[in-house]
Order: sequence, then C-alpha cells, then structure tokens
Amino acid sequence: MTHIAPLPLEAITDPELRGLIAEGEALGAPDDLFGRIVARAPEQAVPLMRALLMSHAQGHVDHKLKEIVRILLARFAGDKYFASLRSRKARAMGLTETRIDEGCFAYEDAGKGFSEAEKCALRYADLMFLDVGQVDKAFYDEMKKYWSEAQIMELGAFIAFHYGMQMFMRSLGAKAAG
Amino acid sequence: MSVNPDAVDAAFFDELRKHYSEEEIVELGAFIGFNLGYHTFFGTLKFYPLFSPDGRLVSQAESEKLYGAAPASLKKPKAAE
Repeated sequence: MTHIAPLPLEAITDPELRGLIAEGEALGAPDDLFGRIVARAPEQAVPLMRALLMSHAQGHVDHKLKEIVRILLARFAGDKYFASLRSRKARAMGLTETRIDEGCFAYEDAGKGFSEAEKCALRYADLMFLDVGQVDKAFYDEMKKYWSEAQIMELGAFIAFHYGMQMFMRSLGAKAAG
Repeated sequence: MSVNPDAVDAAFFDELRKHYSEEEIVELGAFIGFNLGYHTFFGTLKFYPLFSPDGRLVSQAESEKLYGAAPASLKKPKAAE
C-alpha cells in the first residue's frame, strides 16, 4: 500500500494518459502503478509518463544499457518499485538478470566484457549521485571519446529524471505488484 | 526526500494531508524528485545563469564568478528593501 493510493484504472478518463499507461505496461517499466499514482495530479501525469517512457525506450543510446543504468540507479535510490521492474524490450534484445547484476556491481571488471563506452556510461550513473564532484571536465572529456554530445545529454537527462522519479516512488513506499 | 528519505513515512504523509490535497502532494513529490535529479545533473555541466541578479546579460565566466562558488540569491538583502 502506497502512502498515496493509486487511482483505479477505470477512474482515469484521459485517453492520452490511458494510452501512456498501457504503453508502460507493455514495456514493463513503469507498470500501471506509477501512472495511476501520478494520475492524481492530472496536469502532471501525461508529461511525466511521456518523459519517463521516451527517455527510456527511445533515443540514440542502446536500450539494454539504459535498462541496466535504470536498475543501478533504482537500487542506489533504495526504490524497491522501479528496481523490481524489467523492460520486456530489453529482455527481448537479450538482456539477462546476470548481465544486469554485472552492470550494477562489476562493470569495471575486465572479465565481464563491458566496452569502454558502456563502462563510461555506467560510471556516469554511479558517480552522479555517489560522488558528483568526480563528474568534472576531465570526466566529460573521457565520455566524449565514446559518445556524441547528443548521447551524453540523452544519458544525463535519463539518469537525472529516472533517479528523481525513483526517489519519489521510494518516498511513497511503492513496491511493484508480484 | 533528499537527505533523509526514510523520514518521509506514513506519519509524514498524514502531516502533509493536513495542508495539501492528494493532487498537490503528488505534484510536489514529482516536482521535488525532478529537481533532485536535474539539479545534480545540471551542476555537472557547469553552466550559469545568463543574467546577473541586477538583470544584466553576462558572460558564462562572469556568471560563474557571481553564482559559482557561493550562489547569489535574487532576493535583495533586507537592508536594501
């Protein structure tokens, strides 16, 4: 039970929001709980859902990598809800639980086979909320060796937005169904 | 939510409900989460406001001096009000 009760799905009449909630359900992250909670603030719900889905499932950074980043951040945020959700799209692309755990806890290990670009992106997420002082000019210079500026902005905005929503869901005491 | 998320518990929400509707609490929570994430991200990019507190268009170098180490408030000091 969350501190703010989600609206019943049938109480949500905005077709755009219903569509976005269905899109999240199809992807697997977020499931309908997030959408039904933010639906309590109808003006906020559509842009929040759209940004969450677009930043995760679209863009020019590998979706599997973003899925690992999303779960790494949710674990760091202590958010049981988003940490337990999985993208069906990433799973269909071949992402496994073992690879997710390696990406969260052992991406620097040479034997795990993460590329330098992937390590840099995972380090970006790790450091952003662990030791932001290390995300400095030298860090961005290193990132630019592997990623375009557009991709770095996509990753940075993705990290910032998803971490923020994870802290929000943590504050609500949310847990995914099942 | 930022420095002690465990303190945001059922009792805290009961207190919030004395002053805000559930719609407003969701709006506030999402807004706080959004800002938690984005201000940290923006901080890494080292960009500064285009305008000084007195409304002048300033360079990034000058803006960094004004806002960088010790961010200046746009609110005038009490003595000047």
